[in-house]
Amino acid sequence: MNGPIRRLAVGMFSAFAVLLVTVTWYQVVRADDLKGDPLNPRPALSERGKERGLIITSDGLVVARSVESAESKRSFTREYPAGEAFAHVVGYTSFIFGDTGIEGAYASSLRSRRDLTISDLLAAILGQDLRPLNVELTIDSVLQQAAVEALGDQRGAIVALDPATGAVLAAVSTPSFDPVDLIGDDAAANWEAYLNDPGEPFRDRATRELYAPGSTFKVVVAATAQDVGLAGPGTTFDDPRELALPGSDATISNFDGGPCNDGESTTLLNAFVRSCNTVFGDLAMQLGAEEIGVTASSLGFNRQIEYPWSVPEARWQTEELVDDAAALAQSGIGERDVRATPLHMAMIAAAVANEGVAVSPYLVKRVFDAGGDTTDSTDLNELGRAMSANTAQVLTQMMERVVTSGTGRRAAVPGVRVAGKTGTATGTEGFSNLWFIGFAPVDRPTIALAVFIEGSPMSGESATGGSLAAPIAAALIQTWLSTHP
Amino acid sequence: MTRNAEGVMIVIAATLAAFGVTLVNFARGDNVDAQSGLTFLVFLIAFGGLHLAVRRWVPKASPLLLAPIAALTALGFIEIYRLDPQRAGLQRWWLLIGAGVASLLIAFLSSVTIPWLRRYRNVTLLVSLGLLLLPNLPQDWGFPLRGLELNGSRLWVVLDLEVTRLHFQPAELAKLGLVVFIAAYLADHQRSLREARRVIGGIQFPEPRQLTPLVLAWGASVAVLIWQRDLGASLLLFAAFVLLLYAATGTAGYLVTGGLLTILGGVLSFLFFDHVERRVTGWLSPFENYEDQGYQIAQGLFAMGSGSLTGSGPALGRPDLIPNAETDFIFAAVAEELGLAGSVAIIALFALLVAVGLGIAFRSRDTFRKLLAAGLTLVLGTQAFLIIGGILRIVPLTGITLPFMSYGGSALVGNFLLIGMLLTLSHEEAP
Repeated sequence: MNGPIRRLAVGMFSAFAVLLVTVTWYQVVRADDLKGDPLNPRPALSERGKERGLIITSDGLVVARSVESAESKRSFTREYPAGEAFAHVVGYTSFIFGDTGIEGAYASSLRSRRDLTISDLLAAILGQDLRPLNVELTIDSVLQQAAVEALGDQRGAIVALDPATGAVLAAVSTPSFDPVDLIGDDAAANWEAYLNDPGEPFRDRATRELYAPGSTFKVVVAATAQDVGLAGPGTTFDDPRELALPGSDATISNFDGGPCNDGESTTLLNAFVRSCNTVFGDLAMQLGAEEIGVTASSLGFNRQIEYPWSVPEARWQTEELVDDAAALAQSGIGERDVRATPLHMAMIAAAVANEGVAVSPYLVKRVFDAGGDTTDSTDLNELGRAMSANTAQVLTQMMERVVTSGTGRRAAVPGVRVAGKTGTATGTEGFSNLWFIGFAPVDRPTIALAVFIEGSPMSGESATGGSLAAPIAAALIQTWLSTHP
Repeated sequence: MTRNAEGVMIVIAATLAAFGVTLVNFARGDNVDAQSGLTFLVFLIAFGGLHLAVRRWVPKASPLLLAPIAALTALGFIEIYRLDPQRAGLQRWWLLIGAGVASLLIAFLSSVTIPWLRRYRNVTLLVSLGLLLLPNLPQDWGFPLRGLELNGSRLWVVLDLEVTRLHFQPAELAKLGLVVFIAAYLADHQRSLREARRVIGGIQFPEPRQLTPLVLAWGASVAVLIWQRDLGASLLLFAAFVLLLYAATGTAGYLVTGGLLTILGGVLSFLFFDHVERRVTGWLSPFENYEDQGYQIAQGLFAMGSGSLTGSGPALGRPDLIPNAETDFIFAAVAEELGLAGSVAIIALFALLVAVGLGIAFRSRDTFRKLLAAGLTLVLGTQAFLIIGGILRIVPLTGITLPFMSYGGSALVGNFLLIGMLLTLSHEEAP
């Protein structure tokens, strides 16, 4: 009977051989498929509860940190001490909803490199530091908080830049949300509540939403005219009540429906200071879509801007406008299909302040390790010259006049020379979107900003950029200069 | 390998278990605590004691049995400790009890010698059937010994003492008794079973009346399936019987008939029992039924895939996501945390045990010893194959434990007794 036993042995070993082949199939050949299978919760779970680095502002306020949970020394929970004010900048890291903001963009730095395997042991022997890296933002927490307070209940956004470097001093979008709500036990319910909020708190109006810039875009048109030598502040234009648009029944009229000056003629400076649409529609047609397009793109339009996350491209559609004078005239006053984020509009103000050189905005000052040593820092990144230094100087004078005696008078700050431009653009549901872009102090600018208020029942039907956005700019400039004289 | 080498291997296995426990503690952020030392000590006492018992009573036994078992137990224990430290503490007690009982069995069997078992085969059968039926005791009656239904199966017996409640699965012991009986029965009837064969299609088939024992065993298995809803034990018992029948007679027809009956039983139970249908559905399409029947198998596959070659390391994977990881799915848990290295080691160790066991059967001097050694080995090997194959989707998943590795006291004690018998058989193989 040893024969059958031998054959049974062969059978058993064949069966075990099948086990070996199959387990190799799953653990080698199909390992990556199984690991990455969307149903496999392991990859997401492995990030959960691990320590992440700090996110701090340039003045040292901690806006995101990991704290050891009460149950275990190796399990951490994320806290956002500054709450709503930094929600769109800092973002959140959630097992369910993913990562956004700096939390998402700098995940590889903020993540703990401790994976508790042999490589940890090796790193420890080699003296490597496995603690997560930390991120220092360019944001000034005082200015950021002031911006949040200034917007109040309004739907809107504020972006403030250091005009010389492009450092983002404040980036606010309201209404906002508290990131902590998205990581606790009630995360799903809170998420749902935020989604159903009519104020759309998840929307980052500062850097991820495009709006018609309205009259603030006249800065770009005026700069182009000065740069190409077509018109300066003293150049005179016809002053009709309505500008008839060629090949179209449409007309362009001014905000109050009247002429810009005396009905005969007006200087460009007067048209700029009073924000006359008739003159700028006319000027845009004279300049042509291509010339304006050159200035616009050197200011950051029609291209990707380097930023921690993807910023939608600001639009000036040269090709569509080349053969469409009516559309060109409407685009010249920042309407029709011209679109930009508040970040882009702040960049325009910054370029004028920076003697005509546009710089790329940046949000992260440096990445530093647990010992405080910098491991990565942001270098100045110039986009290039957008206008001549002379043009920038002329524009500065024109913009200062807007604040001293034009539509932007409410942006005035006692004892400080402020330059700016207002805008009141077509919004939704009969409400206007309100803008103010500007910088200060004029002789040595340290802050350039864009204030945007989305038209809503909160802003009212009669509001203008000059009436609602300009005072916010004044308050912020005052805050900034009081802490950074 | 010599007996001394076996001793060294046992110390190494005890060290492995203690080292694994230490790694789990580290990964948890705990410090080295008494668990490491305690584990080392328990493994040393259990397997060292067994080793000494072998030296004392069955010195000629193969030295290749205890070492692989110690290694398997260590691998399983680390994973149990990682999944549920409290259960690991209980498992340590069961390890001591199992080794102690096995030592006693060795001492007893070596004095009466193996053929003693053959004499009491009918008593063994009755006791085994009685044990098998124990879980069908009422769940609530005055008597402290009660049946218990768990996860839809009727496998457990609760002994309700005043101070504590003991749970055990009598089938784990009944399994051994039934193998003893089958081996004895077949040894007694070997000649008649071999006679009167007819050949159909090149395969020898027994006369229809010779199939009676086969059909009876099938009936018993189906009865277990119906009353206790235990697919695993049912399949295991029937497979062991058919394989032994083949070993005893060399008649391939038994294998064919047995296979057909297995398929018949499978199809019938698929049609008539919900729990079998659920298992088969989960087996065939785990991802399509992820929320339901397929969840456990899918998690097992994710665990193995995530483990990849070298695994996540003890306590650094997520085998806790697999339902019943420390019992039925211990193989997937080890595969996740120790990777292919760990899973291949497990399969290789079981293959080694099967090789040693069948080697003992091969060299044993009489029919009963041969059949008993082969039967015990086949039960061990088949059980390992059924559960690992179930996790790997080669066969439908049956809820049985992986010998020596899964958490569970009755299983551990039963398997230690099995090894005790094999050791004694090994000692007696030389004339």
